[in-house]
Amino acid sequence: MALSSASTSLLRACARQQLSTTRAVVASCQRNSSTFESPFAAKDTTKIPDFSKYASKKGPRSNQVFSYFVAGTMGLASAVGAKATVQDFLVNMSASADVLAQAKVEIGLATIPEGKNVIIKWRGKPVFIRHRTADEIKEAQEFDWKTLRDPEADEDRVQKSEWLVMLGVCTHLGCVPIGESGDFGGWFCPCHGSHYDISGRIRKGPAPLNLEVPAYNFPDEETLIIG
Amino acid sequence: MAGAFAASIYQTLIRRNAVYLTSIFAGAFVFEVAFDTSTNKVWDTWNRGRQWKDIKHQYINKAEEEDDE
Repeated sequence: MALSSASTSLLRACARQQLSTTRAVVASCQRNSSTFESPFAAKDTTKIPDFSKYASKKGPRSNQVFSYFVAGTMGLASAVGAKATVQDFLVNMSASADVLAQAKVEIGLATIPEGKNVIIKWRGKPVFIRHRTADEIKEAQEFDWKTLRDPEADEDRVQKSEWLVMLGVCTHLGCVPIGESGDFGGWFCPCHGSHYDISGRIRKGPAPLNLEVPAYNFPDEETLIIG
Repeated sequence: MAGAFAASIYQTLIRRNAVYLTSIFAGAFVFEVAFDTSTNKVWDTWNRGRQWKDIKHQYINKAEEEDDE
């Protein structure tokens, strides 16, 4: 058994060898029929092609200026493009006109009689507007505010002394105080008993700060814009 | 002629790198303004009579008349 396998492998090897020898013979026949040229024969290898056809007729300075002009134009275009890209991103991030318009509230002041409170909603929060009487203004201004917990002069809290505008959110825990009540004739927070005076300053109770004053302005005598 | 022109440009703008860069950025600014203005003008010409600013006066006047009535 072992012997027979050895003989078959020998036979195969013989066949292979024979094939390769025939191949070599065929190849040598072909080679003999072609010609051979040595690349190392004596030949003028230093001949340089004539590029004068492609050379610039203009002076070297104008070619240089042209190159710099092309590079500079490229820089100009990239500067404009970079600026436009950055600007587009920044514009995209800023608030749009409808959002800005919703962030403001306009109130006609003629409808608010003296000595009355008005509560309006601004950015989801209540805003108190009080048309103060002369007595209330006097009381708010003459009080010795330096002894208060959050000392603030009445002049710093109002733009026009007859109009008191402030956020109706108690600075303690965010309840909405009740108007025209409390020990000081101003606002009273029912949640934990904070008393605010007629200028919205904390006078008694747990609240740490005065009622917050939002940004507002009077474009004319009869109008108030909050925001 | 062309050589003298090129030489003068080289001497004024390109010779100093600071001047070269400054002129590139100044040119970018001028180009941007000119490009924006001209494209806006083309757009307005193309859409003449169809934009809000073109027809605004009709409606604004009408609203004021209604207020007066």
